[in-house]
Amino acid sequence: MRGLIDTVFRKELRDHVRDTRSLLISMVWPLLGPLAFFVMIQVVASWLRQDRPLELPVVGRQHAPSLVVFLERNGVVLKDVPDDYEARIRAGSLDAVLILDEDYGKDFSKGRTAGVRLVVDSSRQSAQRSVSRLKRVLEAYSRTVGVQRLAARGVAPDLASALRVDEEDLSTPERAAASLLYMVPLFLVMAAFTGGLQLASDTMAGERERGSLEPLLLNPTPRGAVVLGKWLATVAMAACSVLVTLAVFMVVMRFVPLEDLGVKAHFDALSAMGMALAVLPLVLAASGVQMWVSTYARSFKEAQTYLSLLSAAPTLPGLVLAFSPVQTKLWMFAVPVLGQQMLAGEVMRGEALGPWPFLITAASSAVVALLSLRFTTGLLSQERIVFGRA
Amino acid sequence: MIRATNLHKRFGKVTAVEDVSFTAEDGRITGLLGPNGAGKTTTMRMLYTLVRPDGGTATVDGVDVVSRPQDARRVLGVLPDARGLYPRLTAREHARYYGELHGLSGGALDKRVDALVDLLDMKEIADRRAEGFSQGERVKVALARALVHGPRNVLLDEPTNGLDVMSTRAVRALLRRLKDEGCCVVFSSHVMQEVAALCERIVVVAHGRVVADGTPDALRASTGKDSLEEAFVATIGSEQGLMQ
Repeated sequence: MRGLIDTVFRKELRDHVRDTRSLLISMVWPLLGPLAFFVMIQVVASWLRQDRPLELPVVGRQHAPSLVVFLERNGVVLKDVPDDYEARIRAGSLDAVLILDEDYGKDFSKGRTAGVRLVVDSSRQSAQRSVSRLKRVLEAYSRTVGVQRLAARGVAPDLASALRVDEEDLSTPERAAASLLYMVPLFLVMAAFTGGLQLASDTMAGERERGSLEPLLLNPTPRGAVVLGKWLATVAMAACSVLVTLAVFMVVMRFVPLEDLGVKAHFDALSAMGMALAVLPLVLAASGVQMWVSTYARSFKEAQTYLSLLSAAPTLPGLVLAFSPVQTKLWMFAVPVLGQQMLAGEVMRGEALGPWPFLITAASSAVVALLSLRFTTGLLSQERIVFGRA
Repeated sequence: MIRATNLHKRFGKVTAVEDVSFTAEDGRITGLLGPNGAGKTTTMRMLYTLVRPDGGTATVDGVDVVSRPQDARRVLGVLPDARGLYPRLTAREHARYYGELHGLSGGALDKRVDALVDLLDMKEIADRRAEGFSQGERVKVALARALVHGPRNVLLDEPTNGLDVMSTRAVRALLRRLKDEGCCVVFSSHVMQEVAALCERIVVVAHGRVVADGTPDALRASTGKDSLEEAFVATIGSEQGLMQ
């Protein structure tokens, strides 16, 4: 039995590896995911870089020496004002300009409300972030000076502010980067499906379509051995695809400014092993279900259509996890696909997990694999499956 | 030796095989002759264990095909209706794969495959991938993998269908050789000339039943017709199957 399984396994792999085109297709995903991640994280990182030096051209600096000092102390780099600043703001090459006129100095020293003009173009999305930061700095200055004046007159400053608004901005680059990280488990899980897709559809639906299933079943080989051999070949391809995806992610992570983004994620050898351990058992289940679907499909094309749909399945829990992180519960690990994504995510974030989640996810995948292999073997003894259906 | 006893098979409401019984002796070529749709392929499929009869059974060298299909497959060599190849494997790899599935390996398998390459005259294509093989070359590969384990009973479903003259001759020569080696050879055909050229024994099937069974001479005698062609028409009651 073992020798027979091995014979089928080796034949299927040799046959598949010679099919360069479908081999390339199988390997597109492992590269596509990490590349998409790389591009997206670079975009997020570029927001962060824009954030840092806040440059502000100021007219009439000499009228407000203390404001100038306050601005500089708060990380604003003061610049000279170009003559055509209004045009530049409209064009978007300048975010804002601060204008302090002579009245400012007089009003300020007399303790009256002193006017400053902030020239902006509110229709410019790209300037929004800088403008709101500037406003915050100016308000902070206003508050600070106000508090000092009240205190000097013996009034408790708190009386003047009935409300204090603490704004918590959720769309920081750090958050965006953290949610991008969910792509890593998502693509690992998808690789478990896409890697074996070509082989799975060719090895059952394709085998029947080209008329080689009937002769194959004429050998005194138990159906179970044929199914197991073909399944193992699918598993091998899918496992390769997962490992390549993981390896490419590890390489990409070296070129990504994760620490600058304040993202706490672990991409060392140990967590790579942990992620492999988390996702690889899914390969057994994914390949098993693919074999089953491929045997049931009426044609090679139909098999590919079904299996492509099946490969999209991991995006469902993936999307949910990416946009509304759920509280991890132990039973979730028992749901194939969801379990692997959560487990790989936890490993990536460096959580201490213990062996149970790993065992639970692996066991649930093994059960799914076992069931689908039994169903597939059962299908092969049905005449309408072997000889095809109209 | 292959013995079919009252084989019966229905697909839904359609009865494919009503009642087929015959015996094919060792060292003989037995032809299963009948028009299209007579139930030849279904009968063959029951003999080679991929279709389970609804009634009756068959034995191959005494092994029951219904209760011990796997053992029956060991002593059978089959060229089925479907003879698809793997386009990316060479002719030799096809034969080797099936040999290994029959439990052969090592030197014994090499020798056997070399012998088949000689026998089927396929030296030129032996190490070429099956992609782009001609119809005749494909049948040769299918025969090589069917015979790799040296079966004593050989079933062929319309083996010369779609072949040119040279390939047809090669197949006929092979069948005669198998007969001379003492194998039990059964082949089905809807072409009377094909059967007449090869068989000592003809089993005529029509509408899922055996309507005549005997030597070509006996067939002529029983119908009172001089030519086999006339005898065939008389037995099946129509002229279908006379022409290629």
